[in-house]
Amino acid sequence: MALPLPPGLTHSEVAFLAEMEMVTVVPRQRLESIDLLSGQTPPLRPPHRAQLPLWLALLLKKQRRANIVPPPWLHPASLADIIHRETKGAGFSAPPPPPARANPHEPGRARRFADDDVTLSPPFQPSCTANAPAGYLPYHWLEVAESLLTHAGDDMAAPVGEVRSLLRDLVEVRAAKMRDSISELQGLERGMMLLTGVGSIELAESRGFVLGVVDGVRKIGASTEATRRDKEEMGDERDDEGSDDDMGI
Amino acid sequence: MSYYDIDAILTDAEKLPCTFQIDVPDLGYLDNAPTQTLRAGAKVALPLWLAEMLAVANDDQGKSFVNFDLPRALGNDVIQALKADPRAVPLRDQSAHFFGLATRMMDLLAEEQELGSVLRKTFVTRATEIALHARKVGGGGKAAGGDDGASNLGVGGAGEEFLRGLDETERKLFRKAHEGAKAAKEWMENVKKH
Amino acid sequence: MDIDDILREVDPVFHAVPQEKRDLQDLTRAWVAERCAPELLHWPADGLFERVNDNIKRQIEKVEEMTGDMDPKTNFALIVLQTELERFKYIVRSYLRARIAKIDRHTLHYLSTDELRSRLSEMELAYATRHQALLHNHYLSSFLSSFPPQMQNLNDAGGNSTMIDTPDLESAVFIRLLIDTVVEGRGVDADGEMNGKVDDIVILRWSDAKPLVDAGSAELV
Repeated sequence: MALPLPPGLTHSEVAFLAEMEMVTVVPRQRLESIDLLSGQTPPLRPPHRAQLPLWLALLLKKQRRANIVPPPWLHPASLADIIHRETKGAGFSAPPPPPARANPHEPGRARRFADDDVTLSPPFQPSCTANAPAGYLPYHWLEVAESLLTHAGDDMAAPVGEVRSLLRDLVEVRAAKMRDSISELQGLERGMMLLTGVGSIELAESRGFVLGVVDGVRKIGASTEATRRDKEEMGDERDDEGSDDDMGI
Repeated sequence: MSYYDIDAILTDAEKLPCTFQIDVPDLGYLDNAPTQTLRAGAKVALPLWLAEMLAVANDDQGKSFVNFDLPRALGNDVIQALKADPRAVPLRDQSAHFFGLATRMMDLLAEEQELGSVLRKTFVTRATEIALHARKVGGGGKAAGGDDGASNLGVGGAGEEFLRGLDETERKLFRKAHEGAKAAKEWMENVKKH
Repeated sequence: MDIDDILREVDPVFHAVPQEKRDLQDLTRAWVAERCAPELLHWPADGLFERVNDNIKRQIEKVEEMTGDMDPKTNFALIVLQTELERFKYIVRSYLRARIAKIDRHTLHYLSTDELRSRLSEMELAYATRHQALLHNHYLSSFLSSFPPQMQNLNDAGGNSTMIDTPDLESAVFIRLLIDTVVEGRGVDADGEMNGKVDDIVILRWSDAKPLVDAGSAELV
């Protein structure tokens, strides 16, 4: 049975990914370590905090076995700060800095969260734990925020209504940016466009349309591009001849 | 281009104004003169695929069978109107496959490069407008299912007029934008339910 | 200095990221890439899928064993195990189905050269070959055989068009840079180059993105 979906992740696939983000929980009951496919869970000992994937944290929360510590970026002050920056600046606000850890060989220099042959990226970077920096939206910000507000509203740092209304403002101001970026798509003449800081849900919503525009511009410009390449190639050949002559001298 | 792409096939069926360069016996019926010889200089509208073949083919003196020109859809009037305001032109009235046709013509007539930059600007400007409308009807959930997407969107007024004038490429774009907005809304409602 | 760095110093082969987590990252990345790329990607060569499948099988056995044990204390652990198991199965299934969809869509294309065939797993290759043969026989018996002989082919490439559909490798994609790297892209009026930074998200043509993705410098998103 072939998958009947167009290229690109859907909203529910993206939300599924977001559930693998690590979050911080405060257990209310003891729970021994569980031997999962993705590794052993830490043993839970109240009141010691532990890091768990969101899907597991939500499972514990529903059974009242744990509370979830909201990530610092989801605090109202942090959200207000981000909204302020998003409103002032042109592009999306910067993504969280790569989790930097002290490098014993180069003290003071941040090191990418990478091992010899694997580079972790969202949702496997710890950007939604209690230690995540405030003021930065991680890639899966909207999914994580929505699911925490819905299922762990009583664990939030502020009333759910207040956080939600800030989130709504944030969604709005960023949606306007996404629309503005579309008019720049013609500027994709140089072959690429940066969209750093965009969130996964925002991508899922706009992907089909944005890629449709980029592909459309390419197709309409195909003969212009081919002509340009021919000219450049001929120019190169002429240059080559020139250099051959130089060699002859 | 895909072998089985219906839109590409339909685009190739669009008519081009052609001028015969040679006399062709018994082809007079193309010019309302059955059983006669079609004279050199006769102007006949031929489908793109045929015009292309006849323009490439030569007789023994190296003369093309026909010359063709830009179709009226890409004529000067239309291009000037697009330069003035890309959103004001109902492209669909020119051709249901306006951009497909334009792309094919630029391929055939390499000298039409200025046309290319006008059309790219047109496409992107109109796409921005399409995104706006798709968002407005995002909550409706009744749009963009069938092929006559634009008629019953409940956008009203100028918006409806604009959407009616979209060509096939643009309708697909509208559908994608609309589906994205709709999926986002559904997801949001779903999170809150579970 | 954190615990990982201490461990690394006493044990040089220590991995800060345990194998299980690396596999999950790799599996997830392969799945997302396959869902986003316009063409079929290479079946992972390092035995990732075989390893993941073995682990899934073992976990299923464990769950079955535990189901017999009615101790309510282990009950919650069982729910957790099953939930995670379903999540793994979902990714694997979606990955395989995304590949099948691409193979179905352009079967003749993926069977046409050795390079393309080598992207398929053994099982996929067997599937594609058999599926194509069945399809061809079905077409033959239901209508192709009544066509004039010269029109019975499904893979003519005469004139300037070929009957074998291919994926559009120039389609645009979104990538995320995993390291600081130069990104090159081709455009209509000019080609560009930029010094990309880690975590940059870039829209560009798949044919321009592919070298970065293959080198592990970027991932599809």
